[in-house]
Amino acid sequence: MITVLFFATLKDRAGTRRIELELTEGTQVRQLKSLLGERFPALRPALGSCLVSVNREYAADEDVIPSGAEVALFPPVSGG
Amino acid sequence: MTDTFPTFCIIADAALDLDALAAQITRPTTGAVVIFTGIVRAVTSRGDSHETDHLEYEAYAPMAEAKMRQVADEIRSRWPVVEGIAIVQRIGRLDAGTPTTIIACAAAHRDTGVFDAARYGIDRLKEIVPVWKKEVGPQGEEWVEGHYKPTGKD
Repeated sequence: MITVLFFATLKDRAGTRRIELELTEGTQVRQLKSLLGERFPALRPALGSCLVSVNREYAADEDVIPSGAEVALFPPVSGG
Repeated sequence: MTDTFPTFCIIADAALDLDALAAQITRPTTGAVVIFTGIVRAVTSRGDSHETDHLEYEAYAPMAEAKMRQVADEIRSRWPVVEGIAIVQRIGRLDAGTPTTIIACAAAHRDTGVFDAARYGIDRLKEIVPVWKKEVGPQGEEWVEGHYKPTGKD
């Protein structure tokens, strides 16, 4: 089981802040994005450019998501 | 070094007190504190000119505070002379004219690179600290997106 958090435009597109998901072992970030695109079609246009963190560190498409991870999807940051 | 000088990295939902923050990072050896503060700009003329009523900030708070601590570590590794560091980002609704963020770096003297250290801090915050703002003005509301794509090294 993992937790997926959405922020800013990704939260608006998903219509939720947080979901929990069961993943098969070895699932990569790329595969999670496509799973999320199936569940939330409105996310699809943003999945190419969004950033992904796994356990609060920036992750790449090929990174494997460990069990129990806290994953977040969000647009490039705009703080300051 | 890091043990003896304070580091404050905070996502704040209340007003920022610049004097209090400077006092918090001042130690007996401190002779200079450089403070950068961002302000909600009501009138933008550079680029796509427009007016802003307020900004609404959102943060992924635990990751944001961790990334702020990383920025502080990066500052110290580049400018070992830097003493105390404070990095604060406000969230929630911030009206035009309001301070939004503070990067404060302390050092013994002003000519030690401490201005560059604070500049680096705000530039890095805008690259890797997960905070977003929605701009609200007469033209409607729109999320602002940054341009930096962090990698695993960030």
